Amino acid sequence: MSDNTKITLEVFRYHPEGTGQTASKPSYDRYDVPFHDDWVVLDALNWIKDNSDGSLTYRWSCRMGVCGSCGMMVNGEPKLTCAAFLKDYYPKVIKIEPLVNFQVERDLTVDMEQFMEKLESVQPYVIRDDVNQTDDGEYKQSPAQLARYKQYSMCINCMLCYSACPVMGSEPEFVGPAALALGHRYNLDNRDQGTSQRMDRMMEHEAVWGCTFVGECSTVCPKNVDPAGAIQQAKAASAQKYFKKFFVPKGAGK
Amino acid sequence: MVRELTAVFIGGYLVFLIVLLSKLASGKQEFASLIQALDSPVSQVLHLCVLVAALWHSVTWFNLTPRALPIFIGEKRVADTLVAVVMGYLPWLVVSMIILWAISEDWFASVPN
Amino acid sequence: MSKSNEAFWWSLFSAGGVLAALCMPVFVLITGFLIPKLVGGKEDPALVFYDMFSSMASKWPVRITLFAVIFFSLFHCAHRIRHTLMDLGLRHSTGLLAAICYLSALTGSVFAVLALIRL
Repeated sequence: MSDNTKITLEVFRYHPEGTGQTASKPSYDRYDVPFHDDWVVLDALNWIKDNSDGSLTYRWSCRMGVCGSCGMMVNGEPKLTCAAFLKDYYPKVIKIEPLVNFQVERDLTVDMEQFMEKLESVQPYVIRDDVNQTDDGEYKQSPAQLARYKQYSMCINCMLCYSACPVMGSEPEFVGPAALALGHRYNLDNRDQGTSQRMDRMMEHEAVWGCTFVGECSTVCPKNVDPAGAIQQAKAASAQKYFKKFFVPKGAGK
Repeated sequence: MVRELTAVFIGGYLVFLIVLLSKLASGKQEFASLIQALDSPVSQVLHLCVLVAALWHSVTWFNLTPRALPIFIGEKRVADTLVAVVMGYLPWLVVSMIILWAISEDWFASVPN
Repeated sequence: MSKSNEAFWWSLFSAGGVLAALCMPVFVLITGFLIPKLVGGKEDPALVFYDMFSSMASKWPVRITLFAVIFFSLFHCAHRIRHTLMDLGLRHSTGLLAAICYLSALTGSVFAVLALIRL
């Protein structure tokens, strides 16, 4: 490949509060970017920002699939741009858009507020009735107990699953794949004692029951979390809890 | 979406099954005409469509089972394919064989050859 | 934010999914292909089948099994069709949609019971 090989990126631009040269209506700008075998889409975006248009706005941080901030639609598919190689698209034009099912803040950045609220609502942290003091030592967990939830703890909150989910598109109130999988992750954690309060939220109509197991979330997940599987397990747990309340009198036990 | 569409075919077939049972309960004449109708191109084509849908439902259902019901032995999660075979495909085979066996028992008992 | 009875319908859906996955292909094979094959060449095939099926289906374990398969599978289909229609955008009168789907399944089940107890 000669040094001046180029690839074209068609990038979504939108500056809602923009003035002057930046139009306020959504549009697409084309950029010719140097093509290298080992470049990813994020490298190309950084090149654009450094060399041709400093106003291009997008999120990124680690460049290695850990931080979860560089998720975008690459040719209509939700992807981490740090893991989407240019050579997989060359010589075609690559279309870069912000993650769908979110409000666009500016260019390729989306508003994460609703996602954060949903995530918070499932209380994705260890809840204890009795909190150990430092002197009491750590909460014990065996490798087998860790294995139960480890897969679901790999989530990096990149939100690709929210863009892939067809339910998310038609039902914005749906709690969504990542948040539900993380709620389930803490329900599976032997150190946690908050399942029952967490389940109050997860059993709601817009929570686990919104999911129809299409499975797109798991297909696009860069960390193999399998949110779709986690949600089915949470449904089974919800169903158990639902039927239990008919047999166990109110207030008896927890 | 194809997976969801299987419900339409299976639902239609269930209606047929209910009709079949009703005719069986109504007596020989009614049941006989329906049985004769099964030996027709229309019936064959419809049954073929339902068979494809039913097989698709079975395969997709069994393949997704391990993700909804993961099984652990110690620290190891049992491989999805193994769970699908043990909890899905094997019982499927056994149930199908039992039903076929029960039918053939009665078939040979009722046909004096 | 609403409490949900979806757990109830989902449980029926799941039970029906399992039973349909296990039983439907072999049922279809029998009524669609084995019976027509055996009909050919018999002078009064329906008679043979009538005796055979009525003696078989009148056994109580068979009746109960048939009912379970039909009942749960009907609710499986009703639930799946309902959710598919909702995913396709039918979100205005979800209550009515649910009523139509589940009442159809219930009606089918009632007809199945009526047939099975008359056997």
